[in-house]
Amino acid sequence: MTRITNRIRRLRFDHSEMTQEELAQRAGCTRQTIIALEQGKYVPSIELAFKIALAFGVTLEEVFQYEG
Amino acid sequence: MSYNTYRFWKLLVIIIVAILVGWAVPSGYAFIPVPVAVIGMGILYIIKRGVKEIVIDERTYNIANRASRMAFQTVTLAMVLIGATLVALSYGKHPGVGPMGLTLIYSAAGLMAVYLISYVYYGKKVGGKS
Repeated sequence: MTRITNRIRRLRFDHSEMTQEELAQRAGCTRQTIIALEQGKYVPSIELAFKIALAFGVTLEEVFQYEG
Repeated sequence: MSYNTYRFWKLLVIIIVAILVGWAVPSGYAFIPVPVAVIGMGILYIIKRGVKEIVIDERTYNIANRASRMAFQTVTLAMVLIGATLVALSYGKHPGVGPMGLTLIYSAAGLMAVYLISYVYYGKKVGGKS
């Protein structure tokens, strides 16, 4: 497991239950990647991380946290 | 077209191509496999263009990278080990297996050379010292 956690599931809920498919479309990735991110099995590239934050209209730190 | 529909058609095309190639080669129609494979790839390309969903992303490439690396290491190691065993056997009771062993070893060396060249090329492309 990675030490980078994220709040994607929570943010999707806060954005009127945005579906994984919708988020994937907005961020330009596959739904499987969103699933892997929510399960903490995959660490995205900086570019994808920014795209996800942009899809929610928040900063990077509000989506991803490093538990160092 | 959805991703699942694409997967269905992809599987169907692969099965048809495999059946045609599998039938053509033993039947002596050596000219059939290449055009069939090319047509199959063309159909897959056209079908893929019709998919609205994103099918490939960085995670897919990441998985492909790891799988390629693992396949390369496993196959190369197996070729070297089997090749060396065959060459060793050729000095004893089985002199006929020597060329086969050498072919495997040279093929492994070729693979490693291609890997090294690709590694240097992409290392320079990405930047920094690798």
